[in-house]
Amino acid sequence: MSLVALSELLGATVRDATGNARGRVREVAVAPQDHPTRVAFLVVRTANGERALRLNSIKAAAGSSVRSTDEASSWSGYSPSDGLLLLKRDLLDQQIIDVHGRKVVRVNDVEIECTPVNGHLLLDVVAVDVGARGAIRRLSKGVVPSFTLRALLERIPPRVIPWQFVDLIETDPARRVKLKIAYEGLSKLHPADIADIVEDLPPAEREAVFETIDEEVAAETLEELEPDVQTSVVESLDKERAADIVEEMDPDAAADLLGDLPEEEAGQILDEMRPEERQEVTQLLEFGEHTAAGRMTTEFVAVAETATVNDAIEALKTFEGSREALATIYLKGPGDRLVGSVPLVKIAISPASAGLSSLNEPYIACAPDTPQSEVAALFDKYNLITLAVVDEHGRVAGIITADDVISMLRRKD
Amino acid sequence: MVTLLRRGWAGRIAMVLAVVGPGFITAAVDNDAGGIATYSVAGAQFGYSLLWIMIPATVALVVIQEMSARMGAATGKGLSDLIREEFGFRVTFFLMLALVFTNFGNIVAEFAGVASSLELFGASKYIVVPLAALLVWALVVHGTYNSVEKIFLFASLLYVTYVVSGITAKPDWTAAALSTVTRPESRGFRNYGYLSMVIGLIGTTITPWMQFYLQSSVVEKGVTMRQYRAARLDVVIGCLFSNVIAWFIIVACAATLHAAGKFTIETGADAAQALRPLAGEYAYLLFAGGLLNASLFAASILPISTAYAVCEGLGFESGLDKRFDEAPAFYWLYTALIVVGAGVLLVPHFPLFRVMVLSQVVNGILLPFVLVVMLLLVNDKELMGEHVNSRWYNVVSWSTAGAMIALSVALLIAQLRS
Repeated sequence: MSLVALSELLGATVRDATGNARGRVREVAVAPQDHPTRVAFLVVRTANGERALRLNSIKAAAGSSVRSTDEASSWSGYSPSDGLLLLKRDLLDQQIIDVHGRKVVRVNDVEIECTPVNGHLLLDVVAVDVGARGAIRRLSKGVVPSFTLRALLERIPPRVIPWQFVDLIETDPARRVKLKIAYEGLSKLHPADIADIVEDLPPAEREAVFETIDEEVAAETLEELEPDVQTSVVESLDKERAADIVEEMDPDAAADLLGDLPEEEAGQILDEMRPEERQEVTQLLEFGEHTAAGRMTTEFVAVAETATVNDAIEALKTFEGSREALATIYLKGPGDRLVGSVPLVKIAISPASAGLSSLNEPYIACAPDTPQSEVAALFDKYNLITLAVVDEHGRVAGIITADDVISMLRRKD
Repeated sequence: MVTLLRRGWAGRIAMVLAVVGPGFITAAVDNDAGGIATYSVAGAQFGYSLLWIMIPATVALVVIQEMSARMGAATGKGLSDLIREEFGFRVTFFLMLALVFTNFGNIVAEFAGVASSLELFGASKYIVVPLAALLVWALVVHGTYNSVEKIFLFASLLYVTYVVSGITAKPDWTAAALSTVTRPESRGFRNYGYLSMVIGLIGTTITPWMQFYLQSSVVEKGVTMRQYRAARLDVVIGCLFSNVIAWFIIVACAATLHAAGKFTIETGADAAQALRPLAGEYAYLLFAGGLLNASLFAASILPISTAYAVCEGLGFESGLDKRFDEAPAFYWLYTALIVVGAGVLLVPHFPLFRVMVLSQVVNGILLPFVLVVMLLLVNDKELMGEHVNSRWYNVVSWSTAGAMIALSVALLIAQLRS
């Protein structure tokens, strides 16, 4: 078992069974449908055109030469296909997502493992090199003698990403399916990390990510993006997909986003949305963006003041909004007017039969048109986690959560 | 639906303004300390007779800058990214090495411009150069893209001082206008000084760093093909503006210095000094202030654009949104360019002139490569799709590039000889 670098393999002389040099390696192909890491064949440029050299006829691959067990005449012709991952074209020098390091990096070289089996070689992609080792190898290839180079490279600490932590970027949806490329590793990351990665990608790649990942993850990721990146991503998606993602967003974030889009486009997305989500978002859109109402979410938990802890827990179970909104349960009196609030902690430590009115605490609320700077001041003064926004009839129109206030303050500058 | 309805005509103007910036700023920075010196010398030495160059230079500038902007909008990637992806590591490495060296020379020239313009007002370079370096460093590291761009746009407008300065010089407008549109006499070209000035003028107008900077800022601004018409307008207006300013600088120097027989100046500061007795205190102040603005402006842009281009091409983490320990190569390169670029001015007996000439030579070698690479990239169907150059555009752009390459080679030979 030994490692060979893609850059060493490329351009290597290929000798057939007779020992004569027959051509040079031009490309290394992986067929992901058959095996996710195994090299399917080498593309060899010969005097008679390009040939596909299957692995079961490769005896040795080291340094700058490859030996085949067959006669060159038996090598089959090479024809390009969509379903092949060509390591030089698709990987070398391209950007990939390093799932483990949570960033976008450029590939300097690819490490391939050679395992001898029954007289021939198995080649597997094991890692991509993103460090100085690969860079220096490629810079000095053909200039410095290969054994000197190898000795030199040994001294450079490797910076490699194991293949299982690599997510490829492929913008053509049809080809992505054929290559079986999914953003598997990416979609397991925290949405805030996905957002950081997405911001480092060019627009076409951003679009590809948002078309592929799960709607819920996409929605949370979208909320974490910078506003201008947000709008450009949504504008690039088709309206149906955009609506599916926007539906999953917090209504306040969705309203902010749609408010930033050109009118026509926001309208088209709203048309594609489910009626109830559409209504929530359009309501929020009517308020100025920099007021309490523009910052609030309409998804919160409110129960009757006569309810018990058990009732509150039932209400929590059916709640579909964001977790931040759960910090406080609001109590409604006659005419749905706000009469009190109970922190989640008190519910967690009280007996199930206890009446919520006995746990009631004085609540802090503001009017829908309160400027956002005052909202922030209220959070600061009363150490709030959530703040109720109350309409002219004394009913809760929505709530503002602390995380919204933090991003609001951070975006000011 | 109040928020939605708010966007009407105002929204449309906002959309145009949203993409204005990159083209305009790039073209404005083109008139940097070196540019102003070249224009001043051209005016002082040859009067109005070199004004004809401004029209072909503008056309060439527009053609080349438009391709940079289009590549940025169509691919969403910077020029060094594309070079790396299409031409591999080795080509990228040597192009970046050359870019760092030639940009370093330019950065030194900008700080020299800051020093000489402020020396006119009696300030010591040992104080102003470190201050300017610190200012530039802090501005870029602590500003956001939007705020910095606003400052830059404002700085671009300050170039108007040269228009005012040109007017106060009371030039012969008819003669100036006529020389701009008439074909140059061919016997002028047999004069070595005249020819090298022609080459110098074009060489200072189209530079390698601009292509990297413009394309990256188009990408950073998030311009896509959908807003491209506005972005193209930004490029065209920027190029026109930049060359109108250059025209006024030549005219100002022609009307005063050349008319008075003061042919031998070497820098922008010399020109300002020489203007004083001829065109009055105001023209002098405006000229010197313009030089300071231009030098500071370019000194702010060159180091950061170099750091971005190099790190993107070679795959180092880059970006001002990263912390120092996340993107060490990026911040070190950026800081070193400023510190060393400003620092060499303070070293006594530093062979400044030789470094500058050498950097101009590297500039001349680099430009043909960059232009050819750009033309290959912009015509790559897999990359650009339907946005590749049209046939007639290719005729224009390849001949522009050919002419630029011929001029660079000629300049190179001239410089190596002297």
